[in-house]
Amino acid sequence: MSNPLSDMEKPDVIFCIGTNMTEAHPVAATRLKKAIARGAKLIVADPRRIRLAEMADIYLPIRVGSDVALLLGMAHVIARDGLYDLDFMSARTEGFEEFLDHVGQFTPTWAAGITGVPAADIERAAILYGSAKPGAIFYTLGITEHICGVENVQSLCNLALMTGNLGKVGGGINPMRGQNNIQGAGDSGAIPNNYVGFQPVTNPAIQAKFEKAYGRPLDAEKGITKVTALDRCGESIFAMLIDGENTVVSDPDQQHCVHALKSLEHLVVIDIFLTETGELADVVLPAAAWAEVDGHFTNTERRIQRVRKAVEPPGEAQPDWWIISEIAKRMGMKGFDYSSAVPVFNELCELSPIYAGIDWELAESGQYQWPIPYKGHPGTPRLHETEFTNGRGKFSFTHYRDPAEVIDDAYPVWLTTGRRLESYHTRTQTGRSQGIDYLLAEETLEVHPEDVHAWGLVDGGWAEMSSRRGTVKIRVEATRRSPRGTVFASFAFPEVPINQLTGSGYDPITETAELKVCPVRVVAV
Amino acid sequence: MNPNFSHPPITKTRTICGYCGVGCSLDLLVRDNRIIGVQPAMDGPANEGALCVKGQFAYDYVHHPERLTHPLVRGADGQLHQATWDEALDRAAAGFTQVAAKHGRHAVYGVASGRTPTEADYLMQKFIRVGFGSHYIDNCSRA
Repeated sequence: MSNPLSDMEKPDVIFCIGTNMTEAHPVAATRLKKAIARGAKLIVADPRRIRLAEMADIYLPIRVGSDVALLLGMAHVIARDGLYDLDFMSARTEGFEEFLDHVGQFTPTWAAGITGVPAADIERAAILYGSAKPGAIFYTLGITEHICGVENVQSLCNLALMTGNLGKVGGGINPMRGQNNIQGAGDSGAIPNNYVGFQPVTNPAIQAKFEKAYGRPLDAEKGITKVTALDRCGESIFAMLIDGENTVVSDPDQQHCVHALKSLEHLVVIDIFLTETGELADVVLPAAAWAEVDGHFTNTERRIQRVRKAVEPPGEAQPDWWIISEIAKRMGMKGFDYSSAVPVFNELCELSPIYAGIDWELAESGQYQWPIPYKGHPGTPRLHETEFTNGRGKFSFTHYRDPAEVIDDAYPVWLTTGRRLESYHTRTQTGRSQGIDYLLAEETLEVHPEDVHAWGLVDGGWAEMSSRRGTVKIRVEATRRSPRGTVFASFAFPEVPINQLTGSGYDPITETAELKVCPVRVVAV
Repeated sequence: MNPNFSHPPITKTRTICGYCGVGCSLDLLVRDNRIIGVQPAMDGPANEGALCVKGQFAYDYVHHPERLTHPLVRGADGQLHQATWDEALDRAAAGFTQVAAKHGRHAVYGVASGRTPTEADYLMQKFIRVGFGSHYIDNCSRA
């Protein structure tokens, strides 16, 4: 998030797109509710009539995968009506004249034709956001899990740049991170393009710094993403170490994923339960769980917070840092003689420009949001207040394109996937929690009541749903949360493996799968 | 004191919720090495006293009987068998060394977790970079 969570209570206008916040980030959503109670206006764009949509002043029920068209249409109206912030654009951005020209072609009528939302509603939403002082944008995976995930984000940045809603209290562009420490995983350099602290592996000076720190030559080229690595299993990738991920259930195109992991010569899985992924491993190593280890999580507002050990792990389970270090030492690697998590964190801080101002002791307070460039720096609750990291803000000249697969006679229904409040990811944890199991015991396919009737289904009965990659059997739930022609399910239940169906395409830059769009056929059984 | 009314003490430990990315602060109530309850932290900067249904109630998986308590190693029979840490770690290390020797250092890949603490993620990337000199490391943020 560019702005702190506390800013969520301060916008005049809130624009939520591709975020089911009341289910996926419920506590953050309470702050939006406070803002609305105070008089803030809410715009919601989402194919599904989710809880946020019910709370909205303007609800835009866009067709799945049509976000760029909506956002270009809104930019057109803001440009046409002069609602942009000329002072901000002149002082902080470059290329805005060309951008205002670029959006001239994308009329609300054009956007309506693609999104299925009436042009008048697109106009109203654009005028409301464009007039806001300040306006804040919130999004989640409904924006990024598309073949055009990058263009979706760029289109949102364009709106914030043209209206000057960056670096301001109650404004910003705010992606909500899905997992407790997915931000920390990126911060710590567990990505193929950056070392710790987002230092590019392709920068020669940075490469030299890490060759010295790690005591060996390092590649000057980027690595490959997990998506590419899974594609190359058995061809050029022959061993994997997977820590705390149930790849088989969480990743798209399950058959492909299982085949890939089975074709490895060596698979080591570190986890707290024997997951579907662990079942395929040569070695499974038992890890200490949450509440059994000391360390840090970094949250969605870039706040570094201490997690503490409260109970002993069961049996012989050990902390991940110990397990990884022991494998490394047995391979003869140097620099893994750690006595606890403390020196690991301190080493990370010394090598990371954005954590440079803290160490284990200072992080105790939980008050720091990165970047913290030096000791004594207070941290950065709000990004871009005076300047952007790379100088001036750049507009992106985005265009709409269709999803990787579109509906046709064979697969005439849009499937979109997501989360539910009561379950977390593949239910490795929440599936073993008694009360949660009571609240949500099985997966259902959400179908509009008129589609239930038209397709010969029965509310509470069973359906077979197929895509070009597989078939699953799932119980039907008639609900007006789904629009006509679009159905929804989560991927939480391994016994209803929705990700056997997904995997139609990937964003060419991030290689994130288009998990939000998958044409399917639904028949009664 | 009547021994029937004496209970082991309850300790309170401040930590951060392990579910979504909001990062709510909470206190774990522990007795006899078991979590018996969760209290939202009124002074938590992200949550200011609020918790959702998962953060408030879904902690008992930690003590679930299916937790892995020993390393497992696949035997000649194709099944996973209980092993000592020494056996399992040696087998894990030898497998990576052999694959790198046979197929080159770009044949080994690491997947870090979005659930583990940052310290685990940092060491996952260090394992790949120090061990193989490559950037063949990723985490679960793409799915």
